[in-house]
Amino acid sequence: MGQNSAVTYAQAIQTQLTSVCTPTPVYAVFNRNFATEPTFVVWQLRDVHQPVYTGPQSVKGIDTPVFQASVFAQQMANCFSKAQQIVDALHGYQGTFGALFFVAKVDVDWLFHTYDNDNKLHQIVLDCTLDIPS
Amino acid sequence: MALPTKVLPGFSASLYAQPGANPTPLTTANLSVYASVSAIAVSAQLVPVEAIPSFGQDDAVANFSVAGSRQSDKIPVQSAPTSMTVVAAWNPSDTNLLLLRADAYNGTIDRTFVISATDGTNIVNYAFNGRVSQWTVDPAPGAEAKVTFTIHPRGNQYGWSNNA
Repeated sequence: MGQNSAVTYAQAIQTQLTSVCTPTPVYAVFNRNFATEPTFVVWQLRDVHQPVYTGPQSVKGIDTPVFQASVFAQQMANCFSKAQQIVDALHGYQGTFGALFFVAKVDVDWLFHTYDNDNKLHQIVLDCTLDIPS
Repeated sequence: MALPTKVLPGFSASLYAQPGANPTPLTTANLSVYASVSAIAVSAQLVPVEAIPSFGQDDAVANFSVAGSRQSDKIPVQSAPTSMTVVAAWNPSDTNLLLLRADAYNGTIDRTFVISATDGTNIVNYAFNGRVSQWTVDPAPGAEAKVTFTIHPRGNQYGWSNNA
């Protein structure tokens, strides 16, 4: 049970989300330049942590990192349908993630829907927890 | 080098198990011999446990009431080495966990275990012979699967040593 690579997590998240959301573009972290697009998805990774146990450095537990996927859309209906598409594809998903590693389960938590009046964009935030055997 | 001369964090301790399906445990004398014990405390024989539970020797006392005396008398009597209930993250193919799983199934295999604590330079070892009893796997979803096992030490078969 060694250390997993967060670099691999990031590559896998980008690949998997792109596959799930196609043809909608997927980016890492929001950029105002994207605001001209009718619908797009951004993600950011957090809570990467394998518990450490007693003894040498190699003794660690499993990681359950979370990536926050934010669905942006100019039309509310598009925002909801794209978010639902992610839930349908990933909630409870077990298998190869981003063609890079096996996930025992993906748990998608639909957090909230909000509207940015400056950018004229609806946003739905989804927290996706990965259970990764190590 | 000598005994560690620092207060140690719990993280500094590691558990090692003697290899082999039918090991010959160390003699009681050798359980206190650093060279014998340190041969077991090597990385290939590390048991990947979450934490080392309390270890050492239990309490046991005989309470005598003496006629005419206001106070009774408590005499320490032969007390057993402490049984250890250990939790490990469950890796179904970990070599050392598989050894202990087989021990639990068998029930009568004596094996030498070593708890080794270090301050980075000096090492203190607690070695004992014991048998594995409990072996339960908790596969609750949404969390790491855990295996819990209990090692019952044999009486009068433990020793302390260090790299002095």
